[in-house]
Amino acid sequence: MGDMWTPARGLALMLLVASLGWAQGANPVVEARSVTATDAVHADSVVKLAVLAQVAAGYHINDHKPTLDYLIPTKFAVEPSEQFTVKSVSYPKGTPVKFAFNDGPLSVYEGQVIVGVLLQAGKPLAPGTYTLKAKFSYQACNDHSCLAPTSVPVPLTLKVVPPNVPLKPVESDVFKRIKFE
Amino acid sequence: MDEQTPIDNNTPPESNAPETSPSPENRSSHSSQMLAGAVLAILIVVGLYFVNRYWITPAVRAQSKTDSSHPMAPEISLTDTTGLPLKLSDYKGRVVILDFWATWCGPCRIEIPGFIDLQKRYGTQGLNVIGISMDDSPEPVVDFYKELQMNYPVAVGNSRHGELYGGIPGLPTTFVIGRDGRIYAKHVGATDPNVFESEIKELLAASPQGEVTNFHQVGQIFQEDKLELGDPAVIDSEVPGVDLTKLTAEQKETFKKKLENQQCTCGCKRNLLNCRLNDRNCSTSKQMAKDQLAAFISGKDTGPVSTPAPAPAPPPATKDNKPMIPIATPAPTPNKQN
Repeated sequence: MGDMWTPARGLALMLLVASLGWAQGANPVVEARSVTATDAVHADSVVKLAVLAQVAAGYHINDHKPTLDYLIPTKFAVEPSEQFTVKSVSYPKGTPVKFAFNDGPLSVYEGQVIVGVLLQAGKPLAPGTYTLKAKFSYQACNDHSCLAPTSVPVPLTLKVVPPNVPLKPVESDVFKRIKFE
Repeated sequence: MDEQTPIDNNTPPESNAPETSPSPENRSSHSSQMLAGAVLAILIVVGLYFVNRYWITPAVRAQSKTDSSHPMAPEISLTDTTGLPLKLSDYKGRVVILDFWATWCGPCRIEIPGFIDLQKRYGTQGLNVIGISMDDSPEPVVDFYKELQMNYPVAVGNSRHGELYGGIPGLPTTFVIGRDGRIYAKHVGATDPNVFESEIKELLAASPQGEVTNFHQVGQIFQEDKLELGDPAVIDSEVPGVDLTKLTAEQKETFKKKLENQQCTCGCKRNLLNCRLNDRNCSTSKQMAKDQLAAFISGKDTGPVSTPAPAPAPPPATKDNKPMIPIATPAPTPNKQN
């Protein structure tokens, strides 16, 4: 009788595990990419850049200005380069969310996070494609557990064209949502 | 009901009785049937409850946790936040709640008062809570320890300790260890103190000699609760996370040089060996190093080290003296490492 019901037990176990399982696996909790406001850039100009980070469903990452001192803020950093310097990084305002582990709401990022970056392109800058190294650092939690602080690389590819080449806007709807500092 | 309804000869005559104006006998029979149906329904519901409570749930738990013997808790030897040595093996004979946590983790912080309370109430009966903080530095841990007046030892650990315990999928991750030094439960995520209380009561009542064979983990069981410990040979390898036990000392050095000559692609700007040594959590360098080792062993190595990879040492023999993997060419020198 017991053996006959083993498949039922197995099914019950599978259903239990499936219903309780987290979205936490080998996939990263945050994926990020960058986009420039125009299809190319000119030397000696300010370049508008957006970093689009997608936080996995069920997870949140802390606001750049976290509600509590002990929380690790979300940051975006670009490695210094001779050709481009960072003028400013603009973070979105977090969403206040109430979690089981804290009395009051915490300001966090969920879903898509768009960070604005202003880069200053160098004056003597030969046309060509430049790649800058950058990383999006975060510390993610869900409602009942947290993952270690980590970062994802965000390569920034910038195509420099001569000043007489006109620039075309790219993904302007994304840039409308950024308040550049 | 004057119209003739077709009669199924196989149906008992009662079922064809008119539904209106039933006779007193039929009315009584109908009521009896309804009562019997209600009783049957109640019995089914109660039966399902008991089947779930005493049959399915224990079976699910048993399949999750008691299929094999409970593994021995790997040793942890650190210095606690007060400067005293903290060695897990010193607690053998006592029940231990081993809590991996961090000060930056909200769900971890909310559990701490519960652990303080359990330590207060069950300390004299043989319970010790031990905290292993995964913070990068001791300063915030010391501050938090003082702020909450924690009554149990806390030390700052690192990812190696997490790896010894099979990896820490999320914080908090808490292990419940019996008097015999075996791990009986693993809880990932903030857990109700009543869950720990129930488990430690069972373990406190057990003899320090021998394994508790009928222990059942309480509370929700997540996939991440699965008990799989790390292999110290891999964790403490010269290339962390990569098993070099099949290589001779000479081969290990050649392999490490090969990794030194290759750039890690995770964005760390380090060579592969340094990335492995400095960032044990980097999955990119881990996989790259494993792939390199596989190529090195198979002889298909075309990496930056120009000298051909020597043949690997014979792998450890199995009980029937058969090698665990096929070896084309025997190694020139026997492996005396490890």
